[in-house]
Amino acid sequence: MQRTFRLWWKTAVILSAFTVIAACSSGEEENGDSNTSDETEDSSDNEGSEGEGAEGLSGDFEIQYFVGGYGDEWWKEVIGDFQEEHPDLNIIEHAGPNINEEMRTRWVSDDPPDVVYIDGAGSSETQMVEDNQLMNLTDWAEDIELEDGSALMDSFIVEPNTYDGELYSLPLVFDTWGTWYDKAWFEENDWEVPTDFDHFMEVMGTIQEEEGIEPFVTTGQYPYYFLRGVLNPAFGSAGGDELLADLVAGEEGAWTSDETLNVMKKVEEMASAGLIDSGYAALNHTQSQMNFLLHENAFIPVGFWLPNEMENDTPEDFQYGFTPSPFQDEGEPYVVVPDLRPLAIAENAENPEAAKAFVEFVFNREYAQLFSEYTGAIMNISDVDLTENPNVPEYLQTANEMINDPDQVEIHSLPYPMSADLEEPISDALVALMSGDITAEEFTERAEEAAADYRE
Amino acid sequence: MVQSKKERYGFLAFCLLPTFILFLIFTIYPLFSGMYYSFFEMSGSSSNKEFVGLANYVKLLNDEIFPHTIWHDYFLVITKVIGIMILATFFAVALTQLRIKEAPFYRIVFFFPNIMSIVVIGILWMFIFNPDLGLINSGLEALGLEDWTKAWLGDPDTALSALVLPSVWAGIGLFMLMLMGGILTIPKSFYEAATVDGANGWQQFWKVTVPLVWPQIKNSILYIVITTLNGSFIIVQVMTEGGPDNSTQVMGSYLYQQAFQRNNFGYGATIGVAILILSLITVLLLQKFMKREKIQY
Repeated sequence: MQRTFRLWWKTAVILSAFTVIAACSSGEEENGDSNTSDETEDSSDNEGSEGEGAEGLSGDFEIQYFVGGYGDEWWKEVIGDFQEEHPDLNIIEHAGPNINEEMRTRWVSDDPPDVVYIDGAGSSETQMVEDNQLMNLTDWAEDIELEDGSALMDSFIVEPNTYDGELYSLPLVFDTWGTWYDKAWFEENDWEVPTDFDHFMEVMGTIQEEEGIEPFVTTGQYPYYFLRGVLNPAFGSAGGDELLADLVAGEEGAWTSDETLNVMKKVEEMASAGLIDSGYAALNHTQSQMNFLLHENAFIPVGFWLPNEMENDTPEDFQYGFTPSPFQDEGEPYVVVPDLRPLAIAENAENPEAAKAFVEFVFNREYAQLFSEYTGAIMNISDVDLTENPNVPEYLQTANEMINDPDQVEIHSLPYPMSADLEEPISDALVALMSGDITAEEFTERAEEAAADYRE
Repeated sequence: MVQSKKERYGFLAFCLLPTFILFLIFTIYPLFSGMYYSFFEMSGSSSNKEFVGLANYVKLLNDEIFPHTIWHDYFLVITKVIGIMILATFFAVALTQLRIKEAPFYRIVFFFPNIMSIVVIGILWMFIFNPDLGLINSGLEALGLEDWTKAWLGDPDTALSALVLPSVWAGIGLFMLMLMGGILTIPKSFYEAATVDGANGWQQFWKVTVPLVWPQIKNSILYIVITTLNGSFIIVQVMTEGGPDNSTQVMGSYLYQQAFQRNNFGYGATIGVAILILSLITVLLLQKFMKREKIQY
């Protein structure tokens, strides 16, 4: 009996000790656990030492990238090429649609990957800069050159975001929002592509009458689609970069300014004319996109990734047409306000040499061509001629041509992405306005209150 | 064989110690660390944090959205308790007392939603409520009730009520089984005696069944209340993300939004503390009000 008791006691102690050890295991082990399905590890077996100089890079090199509507083919190819160039480097990829959430514990415990592509839900460049998580690239970026010897900093379509004049990321993807329509359906019915807001209202009215549908749809669960896809260009058209900067910063009076109110009046006009899908507030982005593909609606504001994201659901006779959101006044050019998706190096990167080499490697016009082929979108590098590339979709060639023609399209930009702390309450008010529950004036007051809270 | 005191304590330690350690690590430690973080301003994305004392609690008291989230939570608690308990009791009595031949089949059918993930249930019901392609609006149209169709999840007036249906549907099976277990332990002779005394079915239900399965009813209600206060955010997150315009925002989803979407982790932790306090008060009050003498016949 005594022996049995001792056996029980020992087992209990061992079990308890095991539990404690398992729960309190080191950060290294935890990180090991997190490297599961989304990761692929290079077969080379390099341990320990950090890379020294771009020529002889070695050691572990970790990269985190979000995989959304653009897929991951481009990343795989670029990383594969980089690996070929640096065979001694052990590249560890952290990728997937929820990678920002999955990697959060790594960032919190100051053990981040070396390079991060900031995109998708749960990522915020502004917050990362505020939390001192990104390396200051200001001086280093000045010396980066493209394959033809031109300076990278002079080759962006849109300038990088800066924070008090300091640079913490390099804009990789020129993510442009706009309004989509079915080109084939429009041609069949002789509907015109809207050229300004009044024309937009006229075309939507015609479609509403002829088809008996509410022509405009967006996702109410993620109102930032409308905010970024329609309102930002409208604000840009009404007040230029200055107004956009004030709105993003939540400056006093920006959200109640006349320019802002005029834009919001247009939204109110759309809502009161019954042009917005009455069920939009319940729809998530894929549901709204599905409705659009099924001709339940005629217009939808989404980014360049729409055709790629909905590839498997697109009807055969559907032809994607893209126009910058027509919210500008008559006689004014279209406006696009790109969302830049940047690449950054972690402040606590364990292999900064490899990280810098990778960032330099990625910014290349050949990869910019490839990016457009794989994703149907544009990399933020100028002078990339897509017209000769037969693998680039037609809508992208048209859009690219428009964007590069300043008479047709003005490009305005945000100084930095709007903080979620401001965007969320404004999105709530936006849903209420688009549902017809509040007026444009009430919207601007609510937005101004949200901005005041944000400033505190 | 007589166990010595030492052996007895040793056996108890063997049984309790591992569980207790797990409880400390996975319940007590997060509880206190949550309280600790509520005194800080931090993004939750990095280890940086700044001590702000009670500032997050002051902010919570002045937050215009938070009182609505409390109401939404208790609306779900009340409607779920009523809906689930009425239907679960009805089905439990029907399947045990009415001698239905297909009872085992129905038991499986009613329990089926309990083995499905709540996320799957949420997605399924999103399709059912879809304004254009959903079953409910299509059904109403088929019945000639086009005027009744609406965007159930997109209208602030109906969105919260629309969440009750999947929550009740998903909950009936488990509580039905719990109540059936209770009902089946009641000796048949009690009902025979009640019948001889002239009690009809309704009277038998109130005077015999309910008092004798009261412990199961009480536990079921407590369980529904606790799981709703702590877990309703899943169905909200999947089906509406708290919208439209916060009309379905519950405390849990608001916590999630603040902590993980708006990078106010410290404030999110404060909301978590509020949920803890409200849940504790609710459970204590419920236990007080539902206290009954144990009935034995």
